[in-house]
Amino acid sequence: MARLILTSENQIQRLNGILGKVEKLQQLPLDRLTMSPHEKSWCVAEVLEHLNIAYRLYFDKINHALEQLDAIDSDSKEFKARAWQKMVIEMQRPKNGKRKWKIKTMKRFEPVLEVSSLDQEQVNVVFENFFSLHAHLKDAILQSRGMDVRGIKITSAIGPIVNFYLPEAFEFLLCHLERHLVQIDKVLG
Amino acid sequence: MDDETFLRLKAFFPEVNLGSDDETFFRSLWHPKSFKQYDLITEAGSTERYFYFVLEGVQAIYLLNEKGEKVVLGFSYSGSPSGVFDSFIAQAPAQTFLEALKPSKLLAISHADYLELFKRCPEFHQWGHEFFQNILFGRLSREVELLTLSAEQRYVAFMQRCPEELKTIPQKYLASYLNMKPETFSRLRSNVSY
Repeated sequence: MARLILTSENQIQRLNGILGKVEKLQQLPLDRLTMSPHEKSWCVAEVLEHLNIAYRLYFDKINHALEQLDAIDSDSKEFKARAWQKMVIEMQRPKNGKRKWKIKTMKRFEPVLEVSSLDQEQVNVVFENFFSLHAHLKDAILQSRGMDVRGIKITSAIGPIVNFYLPEAFEFLLCHLERHLVQIDKVLG
Repeated sequence: MDDETFLRLKAFFPEVNLGSDDETFFRSLWHPKSFKQYDLITEAGSTERYFYFVLEGVQAIYLLNEKGEKVVLGFSYSGSPSGVFDSFIAQAPAQTFLEALKPSKLLAISHADYLELFKRCPEFHQWGHEFFQNILFGRLSREVELLTLSAEQRYVAFMQRCPEELKTIPQKYLASYLNMKPETFSRLRSNVSY
């Protein structure tokens, strides 16, 4: 099985690309952001709210890990993802603009938005939360560059069946973001 | 900014003679920025906000190849300009990173102030012409070196012209800049004099 080598620079570059794309989405009119192609599909605002919910489940865990880790005095190092974690990450990662694996969303990750009555103010809050939460992610990746990331593992949001070192958690979250940006492209047609 | 620092900054713009009002204005546009070793000054995917003049430290500009490895395009160091110029001028997302390889002190001018400077003081157009001409010539010369010289010749040519402070950064950055493996760089450093 090919190795999955993670670097914080690659993760930061991809995250910046994602943030730029969501900034462009913010310019779309309200009806485009709240329109679903069919009944079972989420609209753009719901997808973003789902991403906010997913990240909040990691927020405290990442903070806690960063507080515990020891600082290192060297430039950032490559990190080799472990086999099981690599598989979980690759299930999220879209390939050639397609979501390869269908994954059913667990109830607690579902966005709770009353789409039919969503107004601009509520959608703005979704965007604001997205940018603030993912600014935290970027800050966490940057901070981790100067730390011994092998010092602590965090439990994933789906439970102790998957644990991550920080670079693995960041990669999982990035692939999850990329997966849902593919979904947004599909929603917008 | 103290007077000595200002003199160093002014010396970077030899084509420009400013009157006292314009000089005060020029001086007011530059702001000191400090970075720790290995801080990312500019991130790929974000837009370069500043044009920098380096007071202290060494910085590397690099991009990531498909394997995620850093491919070093160049360095900046004390007395040189720094920043991701293409992103700064186009105000478009950068494809490259700018990283402090040593603790760094820079003077920074924002894009809006840079444009204002050119508007208010037309002498800067001559400086701009010379500056970007030199950048172009430098890139062309480097391309020729990469395409025509052997690893040993590239090593010698670089070591002869590079400032001393650049020789103290981790070898892997110098090796990448010279398009050779760190092991090759290390072997040349042990065996080749320049």
